[in-house]
Amino acid sequence: MLVIRRRCGESLMIGDAVQIDILECGSSHVKLGIRAPKEVIVLRKEIHLTGQQNHLAAGEISPDEIARLLKTLR
Amino acid sequence: MARILSKRLGAIELDEAAVLHFPAGLPGFEHCARFALIERPQAAPIVFLQSLDFPEVCFLAAPVTAVDPAYQLEMTAEDSKSLGIGGIDGKSSAEDVLCLAILSPAESGRFTANLLAPVVIDRKSQRAIQAVRVDSRYSHRHTLPGEAIECS
Repeated sequence: MLVIRRRCGESLMIGDAVQIDILECGSSHVKLGIRAPKEVIVLRKEIHLTGQQNHLAAGEISPDEIARLLKTLR
Repeated sequence: MARILSKRLGAIELDEAAVLHFPAGLPGFEHCARFALIERPQAAPIVFLQSLDFPEVCFLAAPVTAVDPAYQLEMTAEDSKSLGIGGIDGKSSAEDVLCLAILSPAESGRFTANLLAPVVIDRKSQRAIQAVRVDSRYSHRHTLPGEAIECS
């Protein structure tokens, strides 16, 4: 992983088009400003993970698998 | 009356009043705004969240308390506002709220529950949201009770 040290008010670039500004720093949080082209999707990681998990959940599930799942839940 | 031919459940008819509205869809399924909550006695405590616009989209879910009896719901202010609970109007109370975890198949026929992002349904307004938590208290792949102790 690349680690970069930045202060409040400073920025960094990802490629030519994505700019991340450090707007505010607290003891347990940072506030970031992100400038990116419209086609770049910016999401909280938890939402990204949930999107992937939802796609898994909507996939093929056989009646046998559902029967087995029921056993573990009852 | 709405009719849908569900991939998992076959033909379903239901009252328009029973339709759940997800104003923003669900992550990865932003195009799915209308769902039906289908309960079958033989499948309890599993329930089915069936999209009314896309028959192929049907989630298996269970009450979060069936997965973790001590589960504590926490929503962002933005999500609470979007759902209209605990907001300025205060129209709905905790008893009207149903909290479900979406179940996903994992490796070797096991299932996990997404406790990071419960589906929160206000039964009074029939509005719903998948409320993605900001903390890391719960996993998006929580092992189901009974799964962890089972030997293969």
